[in-house]
Amino acid sequence: MRNIVIAIAGLALFAASCKKSDYALPTPSTKLQNQAIKRTLGPNIVGQVIEFAYAGAILKGKLTSFQADANIAGAAGTYMEYRSFYTASTGADVGVPVGNPSVTKATNTTVTFSVDTNAATLRYYYVIPEEARGKTVTITFTAKSNDGESISTVMGPYTIAKMDMKLNMKLTDGNAMYISIGDTAVYNATDAAAHAGSVDLVYLYRNLTTSAFNHALVSPAADPVYLPGVTLPTGVNRSTKELKAFNLQDHNLAPTEQYGGIFIDDIDFQTIDLSNSPNYAINLKADAGVWCQTADGKYKAYIFFNSVGAGTATVSMKRYKLN
Amino acid sequence: MKRNLSIAIAAIFVLSTWSCSKNTPVDSDGLLITTRRECSVSSFELLGTDFVSVRVGAAVIDTVAQTVKCTVQFGTDLRNLYPQFSLAQDCKLDPKITGLTDFSDLAHPRQWTVISGDRQIKKTYTVTLTVQPR
Repeated sequence: MRNIVIAIAGLALFAASCKKSDYALPTPSTKLQNQAIKRTLGPNIVGQVIEFAYAGAILKGKLTSFQADANIAGAAGTYMEYRSFYTASTGADVGVPVGNPSVTKATNTTVTFSVDTNAATLRYYYVIPEEARGKTVTITFTAKSNDGESISTVMGPYTIAKMDMKLNMKLTDGNAMYISIGDTAVYNATDAAAHAGSVDLVYLYRNLTTSAFNHALVSPAADPVYLPGVTLPTGVNRSTKELKAFNLQDHNLAPTEQYGGIFIDDIDFQTIDLSNSPNYAINLKADAGVWCQTADGKYKAYIFFNSVGAGTATVSMKRYKLN
Repeated sequence: MKRNLSIAIAAIFVLSTWSCSKNTPVDSDGLLITTRRECSVSSFELLGTDFVSVRVGAAVIDTVAQTVKCTVQFGTDLRNLYPQFSLAQDCKLDPKITGLTDFSDLAHPRQWTVISGDRQIKKTYTVTLTVQPR
């Protein structure tokens, strides 16, 4: 008898848990609403753009302005779109002007609406300034409506990387073949002699039948066996630590690579240990990369081979200043 | 009723004890000790820091002399290499390869011991590298 009572109680509980509560349509807020998303991925690097999409809407009334306030003023080129985009059937983004071109004053960028609209999404492009290197950036978006209401959303803080980068440096064996990581520059022999103290690597290409030499980045101070036929300019004698990598296709350095979904960030430079690495790297090819540390201990870098030819190469570099 | 219950409990106890008994011994590495007595290296690979092979041709493995001879490319960084051994079934290697290995002392080749599946046979292989000339 007792068991029957327990069973009935259990059944009742089960039935109660399955009961559907009546669905009620959500009531939209009549107040001004807003939302923001960050559209860019990867590390935030000085000179690069952080893109946001900021949306605002109000049920009754119209929007009067959108503004973005950064805690550190964006570099030249920072702006907010005055067009609201939709995606056409072709897949292309089509912009519909809803306001006047943005006005940027110091840390503030504003778009004032010129059409009667109660909803819009505008994109904001923040160009990371040198001043923000190694710091954090916070963006406060604010929407205002014609009834005086305003609403804000804070995005961030976003850490700005200490590293910087230089893309598509052209190397030519016998000419522009002297690389300075400190100067992020490529020199010919004449210029290398003038900057002898800052030349870290020598690019050369040898198509040997006896061994796989091919493209190489060799320290000036390396064993001359790795610098066949090279006469170094006077004073070029630094020794740079080098560690070979392959298929490490950083998305910033190689944005068109099929598998380039990897980002090298400050933490990678902070953690990689090159103390036991040699001062040369030979037999390099397209998609190869070399981690480097300069002789004076000032910089670590990652140099990626975007493309190679016979005696030529296009490389891109990320560089991190050590403390 | 009480008797049946006692039998059931006793059966469960016996079964669970039996299922927990170890018929399959494992070694200090948690690897299964089997009855296999094969003890050899079947192939050898050597990777650089970029995880690309630095070999020139296949490594020559002599299972009688217990040697592995491998020619590496000119310019190979001998201090930072990843050796990879393929062993006969159930064998293990001592010392374990845990990361980059230094082969730079060519006068003193590195040695690894292959241990058979039954852990009774041990054969020490000497790995000798030769650097390809430029």
